[in-house]
Amino acid sequence: MINKNFEGMSVRWVIALKAEAEEIIKKYALERVVTKPFSVYKNRDIDIWLVLSGIGQINAVAATTYLYVKSDASYNTIWMNLGIVGSRNFKIGELVQIDKITSNDFRDNHYPSPATFKNNNVERSNLITVNKPEALFANDGVYDMEGYAFFSFAKKIASYELVSVLKIISDIPGTDISKIDKLSVERLVRKKMPLIEKVLENLLSLQEMLLLQQRKPNYFDEICQQKKFSFSQKVTLKKYLTQWQSRFPMRNPLGEIGQRMTASQILKKFSDNLSR
Amino acid sequence: MVDTIYAEDEIIGTKKAQEIISKFRHAKIISIERFGEVFNPSNQNFRIQKTNPALILARKQKGFVLNAPEGFGIRDQDNYYFSHMYNCLYDCSYCFLQGMYNSANYLVFVNFDDYKHEIEKIIVKDKEKKMTFFTGYDCDSLAMEPITNFISDFIPFFRRYKNALFEIRTKSINNTIFRKHDALTNCIVAYSLMPEILAQKLDKKAPSVSARIKNMKYIVKKGWKVGLRFDPLIYCNNWKAEYAELFASIFKEIKNENIHSISLGPLRFPKDFFNKLLQFYPKTEEFSFLRSNHKGIVSYDQTLESEMNEYCRLELMKYSDERKFFSCG
Repeated sequence: MINKNFEGMSVRWVIALKAEAEEIIKKYALERVVTKPFSVYKNRDIDIWLVLSGIGQINAVAATTYLYVKSDASYNTIWMNLGIVGSRNFKIGELVQIDKITSNDFRDNHYPSPATFKNNNVERSNLITVNKPEALFANDGVYDMEGYAFFSFAKKIASYELVSVLKIISDIPGTDISKIDKLSVERLVRKKMPLIEKVLENLLSLQEMLLLQQRKPNYFDEICQQKKFSFSQKVTLKKYLTQWQSRFPMRNPLGEIGQRMTASQILKKFSDNLSR
Repeated sequence: MVDTIYAEDEIIGTKKAQEIISKFRHAKIISIERFGEVFNPSNQNFRIQKTNPALILARKQKGFVLNAPEGFGIRDQDNYYFSHMYNCLYDCSYCFLQGMYNSANYLVFVNFDDYKHEIEKIIVKDKEKKMTFFTGYDCDSLAMEPITNFISDFIPFFRRYKNALFEIRTKSINNTIFRKHDALTNCIVAYSLMPEILAQKLDKKAPSVSARIKNMKYIVKKGWKVGLRFDPLIYCNNWKAEYAELFASIFKEIKNENIHSISLGPLRFPKDFFNKLLQFYPKTEEFSFLRSNHKGIVSYDQTLESEMNEYCRLELMKYSDERKFFSCG
């Protein structure tokens, strides 16, 4: 189902409509856990959640915020927005990963990280988020109604490199929108699932890298449980234990700690040893 | 190599921007208003970006030439530095760029003429005065030369001003430029060097030290002057023997008379930056010998730092002379 399942792995999907989400719900075995104010789905065993936001930017921000709080997402969580879009320069059915996001309402543009595009062979496009359904498509790119708001918020609650927007073209100039029904949307997403998974796989590798960078050195928790360290002492302890691991890989730092030693005496002991 | 190019609307049509863009036929070009939109967002991760850096083409608006920091540079001269590019092709573990910028994307300022104009203003103020312009501190200009043509562009410029010394700091073994141009007497190709055993661990993606020495030999043969930069000096087991061997191997290939200058610099980091480095490279033993001092700087113990500096200086004086030494901080 998901190739990588490491400690700290965590994914959140923000999708406007049930039809767009159906394949993801099936693929990752998500079960509905909340119905109001937004429908929220989650996997029983692994940290994958999905929210149905409904259409529009306000809904997108509200649903992302709701899911963020509800699912207790960390800064290292992957956030993905998937949905159908209109375009004049792509063909119906194509999947695009968004590399620039603009909105007619706001001056600032957003640029998802190039790290998220690596090795996936997915077409890339700019995204124009609008407030009413678009039929004219005056510019190249793809048009949606949620992406800008989603990205604006998601980049504040997660690492920039873990936020991605994926869109599938459902309509082009001349398309009769009334003919885009639930089944056709599900079919569009189903066909692109292998590519969607590839994008996710890359994001999972980035997430793993990020988690490794933040990993606590060995024995940090044990030592903190034994004595009371202040915040700044913990920063120093973390530094000394990291240095200890690289310098004395075969020497257990717990062996250096006497029962009656205070936090500052422990730090001094490590510092003295590392200075030799 | 680069699959995404962000280009400021203001410069995308310029000759230089187009020249660079033409070298990446498969890259996606994304227009931006100002480079800060992509380069500055604070929650970016330098290490992750380093896995797939993009190229950003922009116009430098101000601060083209800056005074070299106090205590840095060639004595009895005015020392300046300028940066047409931020971030580097190489990935050296101790590189300060990792702590300085939020982004690992390569940022190139394409308005070279504005830099030249500012440099010219400084030079013509006192044509008799000796001065040095350092480049290659926020990037490795020589390594990026096939993309930017920066050095090709500045060699003819500095040829006009003999009182101004132009230093290119590098680890690159690209020597095309030194074949194409006649040697410039007021240019120093300054090589960053350390014992091979350390470079193999720390100078990731950079050419080996032996290849750098070989390249220096070639450059010297073509009439160019080289500089030796042992900055930073890095402690390891057996450091004395390692550095002694390095110096011997350099002077075996290059005569002292072809060396313009030599500098030694200590390994020092601001405390916050060092903590970040430890997160990036927790298994790097070389970082385990560094301690914080009361000024918020992480460095070797003062005695060790002085010992390393003094030992290397004396060792180098077996081959060279004191007049060639200058300080890197």
